[in-house]
Amino acid sequence: MMSNLTGAERTSAMLISGMGVVIGLTMAIVGRNDVMGAQGWIVLAFSAVVFFMVANALYHPEPTEDRTTSYYDDPTKVGIVLALVWAVVAMGIGVWVAAQLAWPGLRFDAAWSSFGRIRPVHTSGVIFGFGGNALIATSYHIMQRTSRARMPDQVTPWFVLLGFNLFCIIAASGYLMGVTQSKEYAEPEWYADIWLVVVWVAYFVLYIRTLARRNEPHIYVANWYYLAFILVVAVLHIVNNLAIPASLAGAKSYSAFSGVQDAMTQWWYGHNAVAFFLTSGFLGMLYYFLPKRADRPIYSYRLSILSFWGITFFYIWAGSHHLHYTALPHWVQTLGMTFSVMLLIPSWASAGNALMTLNGAWHKVRDDATLRFMMVAAVFYGLSTFEGSFMAIRPVNALSHYTDWTIGHVHAGAMGWVALITFGSIYALTPVLWHRERMYSAKAVEWHFWLALAGTVIYVFAMWNSGITQGLMWRTYTQSGTLRFSFTDTLIAMHPYYVARALGGLLFVTGACIGFWNVIMTIRHVSKQNRELDHPTSPKATEPVLPVAE
Amino acid sequence: MTILVILIPVTLLMGIVGLGAFFWTLHSNQYEDLSGDAERILFDDDRPLPAQNVQAPAKLKETPS
Amino acid sequence: MLNTRSDDSAATARPVSGSLDRAETRARMRPLRNGDGHIVFSLPGIKCGGCVSSIERALNARDDVVSVRVNLTLRQASVTLAGSDADPALIVDDLAKLGFDAVPTELSDGDSCPDDSTGRLLLRAMAIAGFGAANIMLLSVGVWSGAQGQTRDTFHLVSAMIAVPVVIYAGRPFFVSALNALRAGRTNMDVPITLGVILALMLSLTETLRGGEHVFFDASVTLLFFLLAGRYLDHLMRERARSAVTGLARLIPRGAMVRQNDGRFAYVRLTDVAPDAILSVGPNEPLPTDAVVVAGATDIDRSLVSGEAMPVTAKPGDTLEAGTLNLTGRIEVRVLRSAGESFLAQMMHMQAAAKNGREGYVRIADRVARLYAPVVHILALATFAGWMIMTGGDWQASAFVAISVLIITCPCALGLAVPVTHVVAAGRLMRMGVLMKDGAALERLAAVDRVVFDKTGTITTGTPIVGVVPSDPGVRSAVKALALHSVHPAARAIVTSMADRPAHIHHVTEVPGFGIQGSIGGRRARLGRADWVAQIANRPGTTVSPAFSFEGDKPISFGLTETLRPGAKEAVAMFERSGVPVTMLSGDIADRAHSIAGLVGISDVRHSTRPAEKIAMLDALRGKGHRALMLGDGLNDTGALAAAYVSMAPASGSDAGRTAADFVFLRDRLDAVPVAWQVARDTAVVVRQNFALAIAYNCIAIPLAAAGMVTPLIAALAMSGSSIVVTLNALRLNKMERRGPRAVASRDPVQVPA
Repeated sequence: MMSNLTGAERTSAMLISGMGVVIGLTMAIVGRNDVMGAQGWIVLAFSAVVFFMVANALYHPEPTEDRTTSYYDDPTKVGIVLALVWAVVAMGIGVWVAAQLAWPGLRFDAAWSSFGRIRPVHTSGVIFGFGGNALIATSYHIMQRTSRARMPDQVTPWFVLLGFNLFCIIAASGYLMGVTQSKEYAEPEWYADIWLVVVWVAYFVLYIRTLARRNEPHIYVANWYYLAFILVVAVLHIVNNLAIPASLAGAKSYSAFSGVQDAMTQWWYGHNAVAFFLTSGFLGMLYYFLPKRADRPIYSYRLSILSFWGITFFYIWAGSHHLHYTALPHWVQTLGMTFSVMLLIPSWASAGNALMTLNGAWHKVRDDATLRFMMVAAVFYGLSTFEGSFMAIRPVNALSHYTDWTIGHVHAGAMGWVALITFGSIYALTPVLWHRERMYSAKAVEWHFWLALAGTVIYVFAMWNSGITQGLMWRTYTQSGTLRFSFTDTLIAMHPYYVARALGGLLFVTGACIGFWNVIMTIRHVSKQNRELDHPTSPKATEPVLPVAE
Repeated sequence: MTILVILIPVTLLMGIVGLGAFFWTLHSNQYEDLSGDAERILFDDDRPLPAQNVQAPAKLKETPS
Repeated sequence: MLNTRSDDSAATARPVSGSLDRAETRARMRPLRNGDGHIVFSLPGIKCGGCVSSIERALNARDDVVSVRVNLTLRQASVTLAGSDADPALIVDDLAKLGFDAVPTELSDGDSCPDDSTGRLLLRAMAIAGFGAANIMLLSVGVWSGAQGQTRDTFHLVSAMIAVPVVIYAGRPFFVSALNALRAGRTNMDVPITLGVILALMLSLTETLRGGEHVFFDASVTLLFFLLAGRYLDHLMRERARSAVTGLARLIPRGAMVRQNDGRFAYVRLTDVAPDAILSVGPNEPLPTDAVVVAGATDIDRSLVSGEAMPVTAKPGDTLEAGTLNLTGRIEVRVLRSAGESFLAQMMHMQAAAKNGREGYVRIADRVARLYAPVVHILALATFAGWMIMTGGDWQASAFVAISVLIITCPCALGLAVPVTHVVAAGRLMRMGVLMKDGAALERLAAVDRVVFDKTGTITTGTPIVGVVPSDPGVRSAVKALALHSVHPAARAIVTSMADRPAHIHHVTEVPGFGIQGSIGGRRARLGRADWVAQIANRPGTTVSPAFSFEGDKPISFGLTETLRPGAKEAVAMFERSGVPVTMLSGDIADRAHSIAGLVGISDVRHSTRPAEKIAMLDALRGKGHRALMLGDGLNDTGALAAAYVSMAPASGSDAGRTAADFVFLRDRLDAVPVAWQVARDTAVVVRQNFALAIAYNCIAIPLAAAGMVTPLIAALAMSGSSIVVTLNALRLNKMERRGPRAVASRDPVQVPA
């Protein structure tokens, strides 16, 4: 794989990974009295592995491939496999976390395995590890195919992909060691945050450079969704992580904001992470792979552009609904509530657009589990956006907040929408990417679909029941005005639902394992199909189409 | 809510970037043929390679997947 | 959105075939700066993405093609050819092989790409207004949710900073229109809109500076956004209809083959063709200017010019008008008049002069505005006076209340009432295969009380069919073999009427103006004019053309008939039943006019009318206070189409006819006409309902506003609420379609002797 790099590219790749080794070493030495030291060793090891992989290929012959006639798919392939590895690991940890809640003994009395440490490993693992890798990999594919142009160089995509995975590894390993800045979905400490900014800027520049090289005049709408994802996440990330390290030799930092200001920033970030990481990017995936798989153009292309602007605008201010009944001023809460409710319109426009695209192709949905993944994903997208708008209404929130209902809502979105659209896209993408005739086992895809659906439904129903029960128990008073139930009472009531949740999660992760196996078997055992047609447009047709002037 | 002094300008700035992007799309004729553009992603593997680069004679695939 | 893929199979462009056409195609190519050539083809046959990819693939495979891009929305292909000497006619051939008729389109001179600046201006204004509305809305929701003190003042200030530039930019279309109306001493809907927006902005600015509680920045910007959205959709609808009509255009000759001094013919631009020049006109080519035949004989289709259904023969000495179509033989003609003075040009002048049929028509929205604006402004003044008296001269409070009356009376619903309804109606019409050029025409169509039909090409399809098919299979195959060698409409009709395999034939010659002659099975046979056929027949037979005979045999005829458009009878009946008298106005001779009129049930017939008489008759109708709908297709109708209160042309008609008409119907069936009329009347009802809704809403809102009880939140809710109600009501038009009168079931075409 590395021998596809030219000599110059190999050199610069070694230079970059060499710098990684140096940075890792510096961190390890400077932070030797802190957990940062251990993180430094991880950076060093990661960079060294990359360094030696490139060095190993340094004296291989130069690649002979004609770069104008093919897409650069190597990083996409690695990204897909990495996404599946993260899925299996992070979802597996999720099941463990869920099981700990039902059977607390499963903590095995270690510090690193406590709920507070492995829960962020699960959340970051699925959101950034699985979701992020899938987004990066599919965006590489989509930006090249819809532009009909190859990526501008071969080092940047690797830098972005591997750099992002390094970030995920630093984050996850840090949580286990107790490194966190205690911000939901933004737990990693300052050095990881700075690194992510570097990677993200490179990602944005790579995307723009590829679009600038495009041979197709029109920029397909999926690219806009991906661009919004990259750009807005960068801004959110920077603002929310403004912090001052306690010492450059240690992991600990203090947020630039305090109290409710910090909380507002955090949820401005947190909800927009949902919007631009878990919605915008995955909508880009949906708008490319769903029409492609169904072999039908999107029902209303105009609507897909309109809802893009709608989602971009309405999401920005919805975040304060996470802070109902807190020290946040009442009017800011109302503001968040209003925008959360209005958000329903563009969200349902997107979900409806996806489903209407399938109208007339239902036989394909019936026969093709891959397409069914995408269809069900669109349905769950519609359901969970409705639920989200509903839960953001202050009186409803009074019941739902701090209960498991919120967890159920998040997982309806994360499992039902994000994971299903990703798996659907991976199944659609794998044969194209590796030039295979088909997936290794259609039956396994079918199994995965039903396991994932059953897992999601069991999970979500368990959490709805549990959450509402919890909420009602917390607000039940005796005649004398004291609380009717003790906290322990509620825990006992939760227990069966927690068991059910662990089961739902287990089914889901089993499906993910089957999917991983199926992809690997497809790569290794399915016969190759000659796809001489999957390549960038020849430069012959790249002349300006409209006359510049007489 | 002093934090809004930061958040609102940041958001406005992103909005202006979005507006600029929209104007750019207008300027570069992105909305000339929306029905055609929706179809185009379906046939992105339509053109065979220029002859000199293909080892085997190019044959047209029946259905793009 | 208007998502229409209408079935307009009836409208096919005349494919490029002859040498003149090839020369024309070459003449349409425009050189690019880098030496390449660029040409745009109209391809009405494109229906789906598959066509796009097959065309692009096929053309890209050519060596002389630099790039090609097909636009599915406009059904055009934009082709860049290597070198300006490349031959675009070869591209046309390739496209024909793929099954697409391609015609080079007219790009207006100096216009390198078909962009539409008004649409872009509106879209840009809408984007700015949308950006402003979204951000001001955010700040306003914050204030309405209870932000107070400094926060509120800051938000007001930020809103002001956004609103002022946004209103100045996005409001221009309204301000300009209002200013023009006021200058002309009229008032239209944009006057109250402009006044409301500007006053709301001024009031809010002063309130902001004073640190007041209520500002209306969001109202003024959101109002602009909604109205721009309505206006943009309206524009989009018209633009779409316009491009669809342009797509129908045939290749109007811009040049001719002119005899040079050395005796050869060369392509010369029409403007350079002087009187007395000798032109060569091939079969299937229109006459570019008035000319007299000097050599050759042929058949001439004059139907678009005179309304005569059957082709006439032309021989040396005959004068031919510009716009008539040469059918069978190649002729040489001497130019009588330059193109600028030809019959065609006279028709255009007549059309321009007659364009008063709709003069003085005031659109319903403006009529409403004439009433509405003074009433509202007087009410606002009265409110101001009342508050001055009650508060003892607190002019600030009084002005605030008075302006809030102006804002709450919400020209939004009024401004949207018409365009939104028309957009929905246009969508419904387009699904029926009727293109509407602008909304005012729809309003006029609803008010029609007279219908005037042209005959040839409008009530009839203009293409003849065979009434009597010979029983002898030997005769049939011989006839077909002969007919295959001519493009004369009669021959084409004969070919399509017989499924037999054509006989083997030798020595075929077409004698233009007479017919086709050949040798079948050793016997001479003729198909054509009855007297010419009778020359070889030795027994008396038919005297009706066209006829056929073997040598020494008995001639037979085919009972060639004109075909009624399907649904013609039903269309006439539907109008008569609704109490709208129908008149037929034909340029054809009395016999044919009366027989067709009898078949479709029209009693009021005017025949042998010349173009000027048609216009005079429509003027007379208008003089009597009638509002006439004119339907016609030919060049001779263009003046009448323009003179009528409202007009409609079939897609198969002349370019000039389609350009002059307000509506173009794409399908064959004529009952689209009364159905379109029904849509127009439904639309008028919905528009009136919308105005009633807006006024009813005002009746509630004005007292509240005058009492000083309106806050910006209420104003915003009222504005969005009334706009949504008006839009939803307009969408009901689509529902009316489902329960509207079904088109009468189609029957076999009725035939009449020609």
